[in-house]
Amino acid sequence: MHIRSGTLVLSVVAAVVSAPARGAAADPFNEVSDKTNSKMVKVFGAGGFSRLNNFGTGIVISPDGHILTVASQLLDTSDLVVHLYDGRRLRAEVMVVEPELDAALLRIRVEGKKPGEPTGLDLPYFDFAEAVKRPAAEPGDWILGFTNQFEIALRDEPLTVQRGVIAARTKLSGRVGVFDFPYTGEVYVVDAITNNPGAAGGALTDRKGNLLGIIGREIKNTQTETGINYAIPVGAKVTITVKVKEKDKEEERTLTLSLPDFVARGMKGEYKPTRRDPAGRPGDGGWSGIVFVPNILSRTPAYVEDVIPGSPAAKAGLRPDDLISFVDGEPIVSITAFQDFLRVRTRPGTTIRVDVRRGEALQTVEMTLGVHPPKPTPVPPPKKP
Amino acid sequence: MTRTDLTPRMSWAAIAVTFAWLAGPARADEVDRNAATEMATKAAAARAAPSVVKIETAGGLEVVGGGGKGPGGPGGPPTPGIARGTGATTGLIVDPDGFVVTSSFNFANKPTDIFVTIPGRPTRLVAKIVATDQTRMLTLLKVDAKDLPLPPVFAKQDVRVGQWALALGRTLDPNTDHPPSVSAGIISATNRLWGKAFQTDAKVSPANYGGPLVSIDGRVFGVLVPASARAEGETAGFEWYDSGIGFAIPLEDIRAKLPALKQGKDLRRGLLGINPQSPDAYNSQPVIGAIQPDSAADRAGLKVGDRIVAIDGKPVPNFSTVQHILGPKYEGDVVKVKVARGDKETEFPSIALLGTATAYVNAFLGILPMRDDPTPGVQIRFVYPKSPAEAAGLKAGDRIMKLGRADAMALAAVRTRQQLTAALAQLLPGTAVKIEVKRKEGEKVETVTAKLTTVPDAVPEKLPMPSSAGKALEGQPKKGKEVFAPMAPPPTECGEEAAPPDDPFKDPKKDKEKIETGYLERTDEGLGRKYWLYVPDNYDANVSHGLIVWFHPAGQGGKDGEKMARTFREFCEEHHFIMMGPKSNNAEGWVPSETELVMADVKRVLGQYTFDRARVVAHGMGNGGQMAFYVGFNARDVFRGVATIGSVLGTLPKDNVANQPVSFFVAVGDKDPLLKDVEASKGALEEKRFPLVYRVVKETGKEYFDVKAFAELLNWLDSLDRI
Repeated sequence: MHIRSGTLVLSVVAAVVSAPARGAAADPFNEVSDKTNSKMVKVFGAGGFSRLNNFGTGIVISPDGHILTVASQLLDTSDLVVHLYDGRRLRAEVMVVEPELDAALLRIRVEGKKPGEPTGLDLPYFDFAEAVKRPAAEPGDWILGFTNQFEIALRDEPLTVQRGVIAARTKLSGRVGVFDFPYTGEVYVVDAITNNPGAAGGALTDRKGNLLGIIGREIKNTQTETGINYAIPVGAKVTITVKVKEKDKEEERTLTLSLPDFVARGMKGEYKPTRRDPAGRPGDGGWSGIVFVPNILSRTPAYVEDVIPGSPAAKAGLRPDDLISFVDGEPIVSITAFQDFLRVRTRPGTTIRVDVRRGEALQTVEMTLGVHPPKPTPVPPPKKP
Repeated sequence: MTRTDLTPRMSWAAIAVTFAWLAGPARADEVDRNAATEMATKAAAARAAPSVVKIETAGGLEVVGGGGKGPGGPGGPPTPGIARGTGATTGLIVDPDGFVVTSSFNFANKPTDIFVTIPGRPTRLVAKIVATDQTRMLTLLKVDAKDLPLPPVFAKQDVRVGQWALALGRTLDPNTDHPPSVSAGIISATNRLWGKAFQTDAKVSPANYGGPLVSIDGRVFGVLVPASARAEGETAGFEWYDSGIGFAIPLEDIRAKLPALKQGKDLRRGLLGINPQSPDAYNSQPVIGAIQPDSAADRAGLKVGDRIVAIDGKPVPNFSTVQHILGPKYEGDVVKVKVARGDKETEFPSIALLGTATAYVNAFLGILPMRDDPTPGVQIRFVYPKSPAEAAGLKAGDRIMKLGRADAMALAAVRTRQQLTAALAQLLPGTAVKIEVKRKEGEKVETVTAKLTTVPDAVPEKLPMPSSAGKALEGQPKKGKEVFAPMAPPPTECGEEAAPPDDPFKDPKKDKEKIETGYLERTDEGLGRKYWLYVPDNYDANVSHGLIVWFHPAGQGGKDGEKMARTFREFCEEHHFIMMGPKSNNAEGWVPSETELVMADVKRVLGQYTFDRARVVAHGMGNGGQMAFYVGFNARDVFRGVATIGSVLGTLPKDNVANQPVSFFVAVGDKDPLLKDVEASKGALEEKRFPLVYRVVKETGKEYFDVKAFAELLNWLDSLDRI
């Protein structure tokens, strides 16, 4: 290939000439890999039966042996063991778990030391507070993933290092059809195949070894019906609604939880995990008053058959033959998707923005949902296909 | 040092590299080049982003490429097929007046409504499908918009292997004002899939199908699609998602076809309509072995026996080259073909390729051969009543020695039944053939003439025994490594794969000690997969056996093994069949991705006993039968028959090809709610002209065969090596 651009030639040549250390230059990730590996542990705990593995990965975040990992079934044991980078095999205990952040904090226990006493380990570690201060990574940024996927390493064997780029920074949960994942905040999606058995709790770093996030579990992305490789960012935040009982009054409160707070207070033993009242989980949701066409297909489009007079839908001006296409900007692929949305994401009194297709155009209306009438609205019985 | 990424046009990379050099400290080199590449990656995504649109759909099927709803109706067990995600997909603007091109995969679920969001424009637009390019699996959409930004194109001829390639998509992040999702890789190959696609190791999946593959300076190489060299259809190649093998259709090619697509014209592949004589596409001359009736080749006057010398002026040394030249062609494209006929070269200057081909039809003589017979020639075990063989006066016990077209100068010697089968595969029904036969009575040699027909729907009522001469191991090489490796090379698109060795062979003495018979439960240690195997107690390595691979119905994983083995026991003993039953991973049923693992088990078994490759059958009921269809079509190097009860074809059937014949035995209960769907499947198979036996079992819902149909199935199994 010809290089015509003078500047370009000059810059490349200059760069080569001015490079003093060829070894490091030839293997750009070697140093970073070694350094990062020394800050990682292999975690062994509960599992080992059916499809649950009894191995995972953890990130050392203090010289004293605090370890950050994912809140998995692995931790459901009093017999938790970690292997350090230098081959030492030590016991560990769970300090605190926050399911809403899908994070857990462990501490290494050293023989002869009481729980809470300094361990004197003086381990290489990631400074979590520093990591949080760095700007978030963007699509296209190079990343490295460090995991013990498939239990490839034991004792002092180094972890698997994978290279890739950030594909996207986005939310996985909270969208229609994606309910079964506990963590609802933003994640880094990466294009390396990092999320394999045992990878959860691994480190996602930038190409210089700075910690970006915790590699997550093996999950399927219902948007694409394919496996997704993701990590929870060091600065992860989630906002949740919980029900709080005070005296005899029950009220809803919005809480913001963050990983930095979890780590900072968790390491001091001050973090209290959030307990979501089961009643805070989806109820009936709000009522729209739309009667849909018979829902007989696997994905019957959300066509309005009729609107109950006086209902929120009627007030919003919906008409028969309108197609509910988007609610609050999210695509509604079927009647079931619309019903799920209302059930999970709304309450009576919630106002939703509905895009309906009427003819060839999309129209946006707002609708304030009501309370379900005491008896369910009679819906024409589904015809046999 | 990598210089492939430093093409003269890569201004973005150049700027980035320069910047890094100016800003970096003295000890820069690779580290800063990394920084530069990282910056260039982001700049490239940003440059292409305005043309990368988000596509959302409503309605449509949950499962695509499969049977749609499962046997249990909605909410029933999943059928082999692909669950279509609910997320947005991606498209690329190709015309400022509102035309967007995308992967047909995104509409494989037949959505009722399509919406497009253009970056920087706040509203969603209703989109309509204008046309589909069926050869590249691309769909053109139209939205009501003007002045849309066109992406910069990377000239096809400048693309080099090793260049950076970024796959962009809109699925992961719903906000189109954000940069698209990025996966970084390189161009792995150009001219893939017969010149139709670039290959990349960037991760290509439903998260970016329809999006662009761009260079490090943001110019578009092509549009990402799932694709496969083996299969066609909008979901073909999906199984390779995120595997490091991804494909993009060159944007330059797409733009060339845009005028036709804009007029709403669906584009189909251009077909010449020839089959090769030799199954070896690489090491033998490109001689035409068969010409499909009323095909472009037939209309132009090409003849069987013609050797193709050149197409469009390009010399053609083998059939693979023919594939490469014709692969990217469209219906209506005109090709120039030069052939050698005898010692003369003839040129056909303008053959217009056709969009549809009349399916290949298997020719039928009407005999069953004696198996495991090392004596030269083919001894006749059975003559089908009312068959061409009967009309020609052939009788059981006669030995076919030579065969050729009635108008041929000389007849070719037929030493084995494989040779006879191969010779017939080159001929179409209606062809008159001369057969030299050595009579059973008096060993008199005579020549008779027969006119070949199609394979009948009827199954012989009673088949004579014995079926085998019992000398399968005679004259065969001793046990050797290559003989033991039963892995046949993968079939190519037109199926000209080398015929697998008919029987795997073994040293009989050595095997005596090892041969396991009876009902065996096996576990694949490596994968943890289980299967059962039934080998009749009278197993004799000198008699080649058929293989029935039973795909259990949903929820029956492994529970029905002994029952099936008992049901087939008598038949297996008398007619020399071995039976095996793999188990699905999920209790709810089979998924197509299990094919590879199942085939590993099947091939292991095929390597362990003496098998007759003409009688390897996939058999299943309900969801298991659907898997049998799928495996039958996707492992055609192995399966010669598929027998199903109450099962729907998950995907469109592939073409019937001469040298990988597959026969079907399709049954359904008249009370089965899927009766209509099974009938449709039968129709699809008939359209492809596969040999097919179709039976509706009376007073039956979802049960196994009744006695009558079962008897027919058994005779069908034993007559699969019919010629």
